Amino acid sequence: MTSLHDTAPIAPMRVVGQRLPRVDAGERVTGRAIYPADLTRPGMITGLIKRSPHAHARIVKIDATKALALKGVIAVVTSADFPEIKPNTIIPFGETGADAWVSAVIVLARDRVLWRGQPVAAVAAVDAHVARAALDLIDVTYEPLPHVMSIAGAILAGAPLLSPDLKPKGFDTGTPIVRNAGSRTLIERGDTAAALQSSAVVGGVDAVIDTAHQGYIEPHACVAETDAGGFVTLWASSQGAFQTEIQTAVLLGLPQSKIKVIPLEIGGGFGGKITVHVEPIAARLAQISGRPVKIVMSREEMLTGGSGPAAAAQIDVRVGADAQGRITAIAGHYLLDTGGIPGTPTTLLMQASAACYQTPCLRLEGIDIMTNKPRTEAYRGPGGIQAAFAMEQAIDEVALKLNIDPLELRRRNAAVTGSLMPVGTPFPSIGLTTILDRVAAHACWRDPIAPGSLPRGRGLALGYWRGTSMTSAAHVTISGDGRPMVTMGSVDISGTRTTMAQVAAEEFGLSIGDVHVASGDTKSAGYSDAAAGSRVGRTMAAAVSEACRDALAQLTRRAAEKLQTTVANVTYASGVFRSGAAAPASISLADLMRATLTDGAIVGRGVSTKLPFGVEIGAHVADVEADPETGQVTVLRYTAFQDVGRALNPVAVEGQIEGSVVQGLGWALTEGFDYAADGRLRNASLLDYRMPTALDVPPIECVLIETPVPGVPYGLRGVGEMPIVPPAATIANALRRALGVRLTHMPMTPERVLAAIKGANFGKASG
Amino acid sequence: MKSVITCEINGEPRDALADGRDTLLELLRDRLGLTGTKEGCGNGNCGACTVLMNGEPVCACLVLAGEAHGAKITTIEGIARGNTLHPVQSALIAHGGTQCGFCTPGIVLSAVALLDRNPHPSPHEIRHAIAGNLCRCTGYDKIVEAIAAVAHGTNIDVKPAP
Amino acid sequence: MQELAYERPTTIAKAVALMARDGARALAGGSDLIPQLREGRRSASVIVDLKHIPALNDFRREPDGTWRIGAALSVAKLGAHAEFAREHAALLASARMIGSLQIQARATLAGNLCNAAPSADAVPLLIALEAIVEIISADGVLSRAGVESIATGPGQTSLVPGDLVTTVLLPPPEPRSAACYLRFTPRREMDIAIAGSGVVLRLDDKGVIANAKIFLASVAPKPMRASTAQSLLIGQKPSAALFTAAGAAAAAECRPISDTRGSADYRRELVAVLTRRALADCARQLGVMLP
Repeated sequence: MTSLHDTAPIAPMRVVGQRLPRVDAGERVTGRAIYPADLTRPGMITGLIKRSPHAHARIVKIDATKALALKGVIAVVTSADFPEIKPNTIIPFGETGADAWVSAVIVLARDRVLWRGQPVAAVAAVDAHVARAALDLIDVTYEPLPHVMSIAGAILAGAPLLSPDLKPKGFDTGTPIVRNAGSRTLIERGDTAAALQSSAVVGGVDAVIDTAHQGYIEPHACVAETDAGGFVTLWASSQGAFQTEIQTAVLLGLPQSKIKVIPLEIGGGFGGKITVHVEPIAARLAQISGRPVKIVMSREEMLTGGSGPAAAAQIDVRVGADAQGRITAIAGHYLLDTGGIPGTPTTLLMQASAACYQTPCLRLEGIDIMTNKPRTEAYRGPGGIQAAFAMEQAIDEVALKLNIDPLELRRRNAAVTGSLMPVGTPFPSIGLTTILDRVAAHACWRDPIAPGSLPRGRGLALGYWRGTSMTSAAHVTISGDGRPMVTMGSVDISGTRTTMAQVAAEEFGLSIGDVHVASGDTKSAGYSDAAAGSRVGRTMAAAVSEACRDALAQLTRRAAEKLQTTVANVTYASGVFRSGAAAPASISLADLMRATLTDGAIVGRGVSTKLPFGVEIGAHVADVEADPETGQVTVLRYTAFQDVGRALNPVAVEGQIEGSVVQGLGWALTEGFDYAADGRLRNASLLDYRMPTALDVPPIECVLIETPVPGVPYGLRGVGEMPIVPPAATIANALRRALGVRLTHMPMTPERVLAAIKGANFGKASG
Repeated sequence: MKSVITCEINGEPRDALADGRDTLLELLRDRLGLTGTKEGCGNGNCGACTVLMNGEPVCACLVLAGEAHGAKITTIEGIARGNTLHPVQSALIAHGGTQCGFCTPGIVLSAVALLDRNPHPSPHEIRHAIAGNLCRCTGYDKIVEAIAAVAHGTNIDVKPAP
Repeated sequence: MQELAYERPTTIAKAVALMARDGARALAGGSDLIPQLREGRRSASVIVDLKHIPALNDFRREPDGTWRIGAALSVAKLGAHAEFAREHAALLASARMIGSLQIQARATLAGNLCNAAPSADAVPLLIALEAIVEIISADGVLSRAGVESIATGPGQTSLVPGDLVTTVLLPPPEPRSAACYLRFTPRREMDIAIAGSGVVLRLDDKGVIANAKIFLASVAPKPMRASTAQSLLIGQKPSAALFTAAGAAAAAECRPISDTRGSADYRRELVAVLTRRALADCARQLGVMLP
């Protein structure tokens, strides 16, 4: 929806900040954009994956004899065809590194299956019909083991221990170990228990959140090929070409000089396409068969164990306040469902949920819990929506108990520049109070709710996301006609080619049509971390602008020679170098390159590492209507306020916010995995896993606030993650005011809403 | 069992050998190389494979290849006239109505079918017409705005680059 | 999925002959059958596509006012006939709840019926409106059966192998009658009824309910008649209290299961609400102000 472009005064630019269409949009609207499933290579064959029918079992034997005997079957692989990767095999990955063992277990089970749908073998055959028949002929003998499908079940004393050899981390002496825990994180200051005890009021919510899926429309797919020398080429749909290369190389036991990843278009990822799933299998099948192999997952495979969903959670929050509405203490207990492999982090989401508030006492405890579900992976602001669902409702409870306007309560406690972050260090610049002022002044908050025949209510919730920076690399060369050509190490998942073309055009003072930007493959670009954590736009802009300035410095030296003056005397603007000396002379960039291309290439280099974080903060306001007889919830109006630092391209920024909010509304209201007692996913289709259609959501009004971040080129903040954080709490708070009941189980399906209204516990249909 | 399917795709006569189990989607993508039509779910629940069959939008994954014999099929590859984009395509570009692009071909086909039968749809009618097409990136607003712009003949030109 | 032969007869006689083959299945819209075959929920070795048989694309009114709707006619085409849309607005609306527009371009009334899903949206009103199907058996015998007798359980029908449903016959609505089907789904589109209630209400000259027919979706192994609710209504004057009581009766007599789409308890709640609201909508159509 058209944004109220609520701009603080910042210097206008020519290309940066303009509403521009994506440079690659033409390919997309004509169906010419190529995703891995669209790629055909000469002699290509089809790979398919055989998956576990058990939630937990020992693999006794895998016999592929019959499958290999089927005409048209070319190769079968199991974990025996891969080197064994031990736990704690740390590979370079973002801020902390990653454990390649986790990727290995996700890609192919060895000895034990930990969730239904975990891969146990794969086949390559002449076509999909033969490959499907072959899967049925692979004979796997299992010894079923007891399984557990929920956090609540996994922490019980008698629950099966999913990783008996694992020593949970972070439990200091005296802290009882929680059953099936992976690790524990504690953030604490002050005596929270005592402070809650003496608070005038305590708002509390015990929330349960079901597993959800990122829901990218493009299923996982890749094509792998080897050449005669054993060099592997992988065409991938991945959030990070280098991450795919490193994981695949380690899983295959291959030096990275023997593998290249070529990023193709990616049909959405939202966190789910960082870890490899099919790539090492396709590569191994290609190595064995000597043929190019394509693997494309079906939607059912993706939902049942072929990809990593977002974590279920159990979160209990208590917020204490004095009679004036000053927060005295915040306590949060976060249990996160990590699925079959431990290690899903809890620290960022715990901090995010408390980051918006000043409090003297704070105690946040997070533990990841193993269950027999697919290993959890990231989903847009990972854990943020779950944590906010609990925290922002608890804050709303405090407002209700004190009879204070929920916006006013948040104003009284809002974090400000210099106040303490949850980790205990002072906040760098944070514009939360500005956002709250904007909300207060906006019609979505000032105007009364439009009347209707059904109960209506208005909800408010805040969101915070730290995001990350990591590293990005780009280089720019200049063509013989003076056109800058940028190669990025990052894939383009959210319009990066467009925004980076804007940056390059801005730096060179050229038009966007005069620059070329491409994502390089892993042998033609510098290492860049994955497109994740709202980092690429900011950090790649820094890398591209540095590369452009490097190239311009080289060009300026060359221009000085041509203009027979010193470098100091040369100025550059809008494609022309001028000598500022007494006898003015000039040469265009194009002429300079025509004259000097063969004197040597211009290569500008840019690497950004550990850029200051561009924290994302926002506030969401929603009006909802609920049918008290069916539990149906209708979102009538939705407004998202966000400080974006500076909008590189407002169309792209709004698109990120609108999409992120709607994903949040989906999980808030209808999206949740429903596991049967036997570990089967009962809603493994896009019919019963209900992502919102165009009719299920209202227009999303975006209010962009621009306070540039110091020390970051163009002052950019992250954009795409924060907007998924507040929606569930916003809706829950609106429903509380419409219906007088708290919805603490997410998704807040019509059945759960009606059960809450009636105070009934309908014969439990779904977890 | 394989048989030859003869049909008209995007105005051109085409023949292809298809397995009896093949769907129209497999015929288009795997046998004819028309990969603009996407598979998102294989069960008619996402609309990524929407094509026009004898003028009506259908999910190609829910049509057997054999059913296409003798039919007129329009895929995303047949929407632009040469290098001249259909107004729906231009509007999606101009309004930011395509992000990852995977649902976009299906959205274009649903929108074209809508405007063919109802040149001036309301925003609700637009949302209804694309309700069979899941989009996970855009939140739908910019798609709805783009189709509305075509319907009202406004603002479909791509803003010239500065 | 086993090997599949695709056949396209152009006459009923040829279709009947093909249906006599082992593993033959009729294909109309295919929106249920094709995923079922792929997922192994149904099997077939011969697919008999009915869409190219002219008689099975019939859509016309017979002299007695009965609508003759060919088994291959899509829901989308059903809406194209203005007279039908006026006369059977409620049935048409229920058929337009099936899937998305893409599905409706293919789905047929006969297919919705023969797929025998308890959630079939068009079936409650087809039954309540006393539709009849024409069936030709493998040996070429034409018979007629009430729509209510077709589904016998989830995915199960009274049809025997070789039977071909060729036509749905829909009688004209009775005077002073109205129909309404309401269902509940969490999404507005692309969803399956958690519960549905289809009602046909007829008043006599004095404004008394002369007949009431209520069929429920998704709360029994097949579309289910709410007999108690019906008898509660007949002979009474419409009132809000009466409709509430009828809704409660329907909720009490339905036999829902709990599954991923909803618990039995929730389905009963919905049946009560949907039935009451559908009755009220019929009364509104008939110009009755409810006391």
